[in-house]
Amino acid sequence: MTDAPKLMGDGPRAPRVDRLRAGLKRRYAREFRFRLYGLLAIGLAVGFLLLLLGRIFEQGHTAFVTNEMTVPVYMDPARVDRAYPHGTNFEQLVAEQQLRRFGIQDDATGTAAAEMRQLFSSELRFKAADRVAAEPGLIGQTVTIAAPVADNADLYFKGEITLATPADQRLLSDRQIAWLDRMKAEGAVRAHFNTALFTRGDSTEPEQAGLLGAVIGSALMLLVTAVIAIPLGVGAAVYLEEFAPKGRLTDLIEVNINNLAAVPSIIYGLLGLMLFINWMQLPRASPLVGGLVLALMALPTIIIATRSSLKAVPPSIREAALALGASKTQTVFQHTLPLAMPGVMTGAIISMAHALGETAPLLLIGMVNFVPGIPHGFGEPTGALPSLIYIWENASERAFHERTAAAILVLLAFMIVMNAAAILLRRHFERRW
Amino acid sequence: MKFRIFRAADKDAGGPADPTEAPRMGGAVLPAATTETRDGSMLEAGPSNDGPPALAPTLTAPRPLHAGGGPTGPTKIAARDVSVFYGAKQALFDVSLDIPDKTVTSLIGPSGCGKSTFLRTMNRMNDTIPGAKVTGRIEMDGEDVNDRSVDPVLLRARVGMVFQKPNPFPKTIYENVAYGPRIHGLASGKAELDAVVEASLKRAGLWEEVVDRLHSPGTGLSGGQQQRLVIARAIAIEPEVILMDEPCSALDPIATAKIEELIDELRERYCIVIVTHSMAQAARVSQRTAFFHLGRLVETGDTEEIFTNPRERRTLDYITGRFG
Repeated sequence: MTDAPKLMGDGPRAPRVDRLRAGLKRRYAREFRFRLYGLLAIGLAVGFLLLLLGRIFEQGHTAFVTNEMTVPVYMDPARVDRAYPHGTNFEQLVAEQQLRRFGIQDDATGTAAAEMRQLFSSELRFKAADRVAAEPGLIGQTVTIAAPVADNADLYFKGEITLATPADQRLLSDRQIAWLDRMKAEGAVRAHFNTALFTRGDSTEPEQAGLLGAVIGSALMLLVTAVIAIPLGVGAAVYLEEFAPKGRLTDLIEVNINNLAAVPSIIYGLLGLMLFINWMQLPRASPLVGGLVLALMALPTIIIATRSSLKAVPPSIREAALALGASKTQTVFQHTLPLAMPGVMTGAIISMAHALGETAPLLLIGMVNFVPGIPHGFGEPTGALPSLIYIWENASERAFHERTAAAILVLLAFMIVMNAAAILLRRHFERRW
Repeated sequence: MKFRIFRAADKDAGGPADPTEAPRMGGAVLPAATTETRDGSMLEAGPSNDGPPALAPTLTAPRPLHAGGGPTGPTKIAARDVSVFYGAKQALFDVSLDIPDKTVTSLIGPSGCGKSTFLRTMNRMNDTIPGAKVTGRIEMDGEDVNDRSVDPVLLRARVGMVFQKPNPFPKTIYENVAYGPRIHGLASGKAELDAVVEASLKRAGLWEEVVDRLHSPGTGLSGGQQQRLVIARAIAIEPEVILMDEPCSALDPIATAKIEELIDELRERYCIVIVTHSMAQAARVSQRTAFFHLGRLVETGDTEEIFTNPRERRTLDYITGRFG
């Protein structure tokens, strides 16, 4: 105390000041280094994130565009099946007509026609058949029909397959590439936004495959999860934290909940398979079962987050309410829980985002099966975005790879939209104090 | 309010200061300046005639001689052999104390002496602490508050409490005051609730300061205003007893003076028990004082008596600052 004024003076105390100054320099240097490490860590994290997103975007952005070919189709009365237009092999018909137009003589086995046929999507057949079925008078006339090109042709137009690609790594022959170039030069090929990706369910043909089924499946599943896990989790946490008598039993329950949060998700899949499908006989691969399994998985996280945010509410608020003669329930639901709400919402958001991206438990309840349709209810079989990504990544068709990346982008967008909505909701709660 | 005018007019008239205060001012513990500050702030606050009509009769009634005298009301709370245990640790040993109505009783003593613990037995706030156990009898109007038939929620509606740190709800000023009457169903309809809120805020001396921002957050007020808001919240449900646990320890001297003035006014209507670390405060606001030490009630009596002529050696040592 008595030394304090002397620190400033230059008397016999000066060496001491020098020592303090030297020490100060070291302290500042340490702080500077710590800040540097922090910046480095953040830079590294952001760098990796950008790398990941950049790579996915680079792979996936081409999937949002697709090429369409407009071809003249002569509705040959000898070939078109009047009674059942959809039974007509329009691809073969169009291929032969194209060969004739190009002036190419086919061999006896029809190799050229087969190769030409591979350039058209099977959608050409459906579109042509639909036209004839709607208007039988078209038979004998020439109609122009626009349909997506086949997946490999699409990849060629996008530059992912070129003539330089070794022949054993591409599914297009030199002849096919020459034909595609000719059609492009004629102006028959047009690139446009890939609406099929967002309006259709899964398909074995990449050019016809879409995400809609999986997006709806994921949304329905998440709805089930949220409706079950959030009220149940918050309720359990409120009871355990505010009402349950503290004792060995509650301690045991707490330890178990903490352990459940760390159980591998595939175990929850097994549990769901046994409990919901085998025992309760709920429909396999349905959003209902998926949502129930994910709800089981999300519960511990929600309970833990809710309990810790209830704990963080200052005891003075509880005391204030109790001292005013509020009952325990009134205190909890009118004061403690509303104050804990932002924390509760954060826990719910994290667990929902986690549930959205979860794949392993879905494998076990049959959600990795090929489901071409779009689900219309909670009991219908459906896919989910993460399992669709898994299926597409494993597909042999090369065109599925860009679609896998596109599906990842859609999943990320889904997550961002969901989180943004939840954050807005949380803000709303915060504003109400 | 009217009470203030009475006091102010008394002073303006050049008459002698309230004779009953003389002994207190002469007391060694109490610097005379504090009293002046208090009176000064009273004048600053300004006289107002718009007190709620319901309160007027009480407030205009002649001020009873109190400060030097004994309890002005019958015994409201009678504690007999009260002991409190937190788990295995005993915090309070066989305390027996009578607390008179319409009087300010202060509980003084060094930290950890059990005065807050004793305070909290009176509205059973100790129930909320796991492992706390209370033995003995605490009778309020002849009824044991620890009896099975007494609902703690009902008890707390009759015994209000003000805490050391202002703890308004993170809601609007209006909502803070309206909360109690609302949960107890004391006001039917918006108009009646508005009236209760206004009367309570006026009685707590906060009305003029917040009248134009009733719907802004109570947490935005200053510390002293928050404490008065909390008092308004407590009196909005018309309790019979108000317990105050060091209500001024987090406040500056001016805010403290306002709270003390308020306590003095509230004494007219309520039985007030205040725990304080400040002996000057105990001397200023209370008529009865109880000195606690190491979980035991050492001495109790009229405030003037305790501060001028304590019977116990320990009391003398404490109030003269030799320990604590």
